[in-house]
Amino acid sequence: MTTGNLSKVGAVIGVGQSDYVSDHARVRAGEKPHDSYGYAAIAFREALADAGLTRDDIDGLIVGPTVAYERVGEVLGINPRWGSQADAMLAVIEACAAIKAGLCETVALVYGNDQRSAAVQYGGPEAMGGNLFLSYVYHAPWGYTSQGALYAMMFRRFMEVTGITEAELGEVAVAQRLAASLTPHALMRKPITLQDYLDSRYIVEPLHLFDYCLINDGGVALIVTSAEKAKRIAKKPPAVIHGVGRFDLNRGATSLEPRLLDFYRPAQEACAKQVFDMSGLGPQDMDAVQIYDSFSCHVPFALEGYGYCRSGEAGRFMREDGISLKGKLPVNTAGGHLSETYMQGWNHQVEAVRQVRGECGARQVEDCRFVHYNSDVAGKAVSIIYGR
Amino acid sequence: MANSQAFIQFYDEPMWESIRAQRWALQQCDDCSQYQYPPGPCCPHCLSLSMSWKPLSGKGKIISWVVFHRQYFDNYKPPYNVVAVQLTEGPLVISNLVGPEPEGGWIGREVTICYEPNAEQGSIPKVMLSEPPAA
Repeated sequence: MTTGNLSKVGAVIGVGQSDYVSDHARVRAGEKPHDSYGYAAIAFREALADAGLTRDDIDGLIVGPTVAYERVGEVLGINPRWGSQADAMLAVIEACAAIKAGLCETVALVYGNDQRSAAVQYGGPEAMGGNLFLSYVYHAPWGYTSQGALYAMMFRRFMEVTGITEAELGEVAVAQRLAASLTPHALMRKPITLQDYLDSRYIVEPLHLFDYCLINDGGVALIVTSAEKAKRIAKKPPAVIHGVGRFDLNRGATSLEPRLLDFYRPAQEACAKQVFDMSGLGPQDMDAVQIYDSFSCHVPFALEGYGYCRSGEAGRFMREDGISLKGKLPVNTAGGHLSETYMQGWNHQVEAVRQVRGECGARQVEDCRFVHYNSDVAGKAVSIIYGR
Repeated sequence: MANSQAFIQFYDEPMWESIRAQRWALQQCDDCSQYQYPPGPCCPHCLSLSMSWKPLSGKGKIISWVVFHRQYFDNYKPPYNVVAVQLTEGPLVISNLVGPEPEGGWIGREVTICYEPNAEQGSIPKVMLSEPPAA
């Protein structure tokens, strides 16, 4: 099977985000600072400035799933020659594919989400997403609702099969909180201990409060251009996209078979082969990893699925080798969805770019050459490798 | 908050009729004999359009389980359990374990389908241990 070569086609030359900390404080105080389009606009302005470009340099537009494509283009005054709508990870891949095909050269990827101030429900009678993922709503007659409950069921079986413990899973929340404590724009910056984690209440057992992501408002934007143009015009070191991969498990999705019987492993392995073959790199070359962490257990699943440790060894790996900034393999170096901000994978792309640029200050991974992003949202495994 | 609601689409209706009659049935493919859940328009294994509704044997085993400590629905007060059960016929289904709980681990325990009254659907399938611990 050929993978199609998108290696070093595109590079990120600008990143931007809204003010998570200030907006979160205002929302918690009952205000609504912006709607999704406002957050998107703030992030786009920042990303343009970060890239040193003007709006007229943009000839492609991809918007996130929480906003309407046309309205974002209208709000930002962009008439592109190519456009699309995608989640964070697929937006990056689509941008590279469009650049490779010559459909456009410089693409703005724009996301805004007012999920907290709009009181979006991720469980219960008004749970979102059932139109896209039937498993989010189908089991409600048995009181089974919320994406956290789907991951709790998956992790319980993972405990049974591999022997991983709740305390070992707690390494994720503790490590990411340490990273957030060194990240000025992160929402949850007070360090926690493993004991704090174990003492925290269950939401859906075996998952604790600290295994769940935040829910906050915000916006993120990225500017992706051809690697060749990036070299010529970038103000800051470009973050070159060295490889991408994707594999989806749809069969049996609603009855949770790929989750509970395989832990999405076949998708991760197929995706890992694509991204590593395309980039000519392997897990041993990665200096940091960003993992989509709506729930902490994404991390051990990914460590095994992408070959960072052997099957069944994620618990030991996290406890002994370590996934914090002080460990062998720093994961979610700004705190991720658990402690930085829940921008549905968009914030992970920004952090990967900043680590490759070397502009992360106290949380900077030393001599960071390559960062691997991956996600397995509902069994859709996606990978991107950023590098110099 | 509100009560939990069944998400009933076009192909689900015959299944809920069978549940109301306390004889839970799923579609079995006439060509490759595989069962599917949730119900659908064709066999996802062989794409056959020819399927028949067959009552389940009522037997399965627990694949995984969780306990809700947060309330999401008026009619489900925490703490309550949810189990994933692999039916003898193949598919995984979600339910609640009622009656005695297992001593020791839950995963791998054999269970039998039973029915409880349900305000919305009339009846809802639950599971109980096939061999409960001695009282």
